[in-house]
Amino acid sequence: MTLLDVALAVAGLLAVAGGVAVVSTKQLVRAGLWLVVALGAVAVEFLLLGAEFAAWVQVLIYVGAVVVLLLFAVMLTRAPIGPSPDLDRPLLPALLVGAAAGLGLAGLFAAAFGRLTVPAPGAGTAQKLGTAIFDDWVLPFEVLSVLLLAALVGAIVLSRRESTR
Amino acid sequence: MGDTISFPHLDYAALWPMLILFGAACVGVLVEAFVPKAWRNTVQLVLSLLAMGAALVMVIKRAAAGVTAANAHTASDAISIDKAGLFLQGALLVLGIVSLLLIGERTLETGGPFVAQAAITVGSEADRRQAARESGATEVYPLALFALAGMLLFVTANDLLVMFVALEVFSLPLYLLCALARRKRLLSQEAAVKYFLLGAFASAFFLFGVAMVYGFANAVDFNSIHANISTSDKPFALLLIGLAMLAIGLLFKVAAVPFHVWTPDVYQGAPTPVTAFMAACTKAAAFGGLARVLYVGFDRSNWNFTPVLGVIAVLTMLVGAVLAVTQTDLKRLLAYSSVANAGYLLVGVLGGGAAGLSSMLFYLVAYGFAIIAAFALLTLVRDADGEATHLSRWAGLGRRSPFFASVFTFLLLAFAGLPLTSGFTAKFAVFGAAIGGGQTWLVLFGVLSSIILAFPYLRVIVMMWLSEPGDTTPSVSIPGALTSAALMVGVLVTLLLGVAPSSLLDLANNAASFVR
Repeated sequence: MTLLDVALAVAGLLAVAGGVAVVSTKQLVRAGLWLVVALGAVAVEFLLLGAEFAAWVQVLIYVGAVVVLLLFAVMLTRAPIGPSPDLDRPLLPALLVGAAAGLGLAGLFAAAFGRLTVPAPGAGTAQKLGTAIFDDWVLPFEVLSVLLLAALVGAIVLSRRESTR
Repeated sequence: MGDTISFPHLDYAALWPMLILFGAACVGVLVEAFVPKAWRNTVQLVLSLLAMGAALVMVIKRAAAGVTAANAHTASDAISIDKAGLFLQGALLVLGIVSLLLIGERTLETGGPFVAQAAITVGSEADRRQAARESGATEVYPLALFALAGMLLFVTANDLLVMFVALEVFSLPLYLLCALARRKRLLSQEAAVKYFLLGAFASAFFLFGVAMVYGFANAVDFNSIHANISTSDKPFALLLIGLAMLAIGLLFKVAAVPFHVWTPDVYQGAPTPVTAFMAACTKAAAFGGLARVLYVGFDRSNWNFTPVLGVIAVLTMLVGAVLAVTQTDLKRLLAYSSVANAGYLLVGVLGGGAAGLSSMLFYLVAYGFAIIAAFALLTLVRDADGEATHLSRWAGLGRRSPFFASVFTFLLLAFAGLPLTSGFTAKFAVFGAAIGGGQTWLVLFGVLSSIILAFPYLRVIVMMWLSEPGDTTPSVSIPGALTSAALMVGVLVTLLLGVAPSSLLDLANNAASFVR
């Protein structure tokens, strides 16, 4: 077991713990902040595996933009800042489903990839990613920009009020 | 920079239909910005119709030029414009044009079926003002075009990632369109939120399934998946769970039991033209994608998924039929009937082989036209509060307007699968394919559920013709040119496919092949 393995395991545990905290805390704002821990730990995993570009994108987009957006949504919708004891979260079914899915998948992945050695693919640089996107994946990439446009149009339709009148 | 980016070869002749629709949608966004309000609706409607027509011409041109295994794949094998894909694209465009006519209708009520400003609080003074006077949002046209283009991509996607992107591209505009009803806005917004949340859930399942299939087969494109399935050394459970998750994502879109719970709420809450669009086109796109996954990526040479999907098909038919019996709202009734119809389509797909595929293609077209015509009629029966969809309001409609009641009766008989309607031919085709594929048990349940499903249809017919019209029986509005056209096309096709189905059957038979 090398230092890298230990670091990967620690980051993984941190991500899972952060995820559990997100769904179990009673305070909406804290759930958003725990999300920083979970997503940040995933970014660390990316970094340890050599996917540096994906790691920084994860930090910028998820830890940065998404969490900030989430906190803004909490603020703008006048959601309670304190604890929300009325959140409807049945503990037993959640534990059953969560544990069964989590342990089942863990067992499955351990059986599938447990003894697998994959040669390190080399650093995941922005250049590699760009080459892949604009070569093999150019069509879905362009279509995704259309999706963004559609979402933008939709957001404006749903939220805009004409000020005249 | 060491390596240069090599752009993949793009076969523009194959991509034109999608490019035209995406391009027209972008132009539509610009129209919103620059064209004066009074003109916007006309410009958008003409633009959208022209774009869909042009895309249809391109599809026909491509089909006439001939599809071979050599020229089907393009854009680094991301999409596969094969015969079945072209048929589905053509069907989607035709059904899209007819439902766009409903979306464009503006004469039935002031401003049309869509809300002018969705952000205004429901029930406020401003809301009453806009409901009475202001013309509806015209952004619905670009959104519908985006959705339709996404569907065209979805039915030709040749790998799971492109399929996921297309799934999002056609779903997101639909979520938005659901929220834009002019009347009963709270119901409409609730429908949109439910559809969005559950749809996001289904997409997450689909994506997780993609990851697991990638883990098993080390590829996301259907050819490699097919090739690697038999050689992979990973545990088979990985593939099964992956495929199950993919199926959950797709079965949600086709509204199969137990992933159907959104259907009645969304069909009821969405503006009726959008419901027609969803019932016809989303169903066609989702089944096209599902068939491609099952036929190309995971075909049955490796194992047999028929028992599992067969149970889902049986459940879908029975639950849809039984719950349709209990409905008192016509939109919800048609929603549950559409759930049951998803079951019949699944029976066709499970019939397997070219016969199963061609029966599915035929069924999608036949059902699409009939359901659009039915929803077109629903938009006509209205009172001061908008459409009167409660069943009791339709009592005695046959006395008040015999013509429209006859048309609706004909459509209901088509749904029930009576001879001389497209419903009969379509059901005959899917059940025949299932018997040919050795799935007689599915056909038994199919016939049983058809008998159950005939009951709610007949009840509506009896109510329309044998009850006395009361004071609350609404009048039937005189349809505008657009709704009339959509209604006429829908009814005529339903009749034609019942009387002389051979030309479309031939077309579907010829088209019933995917290129791997």
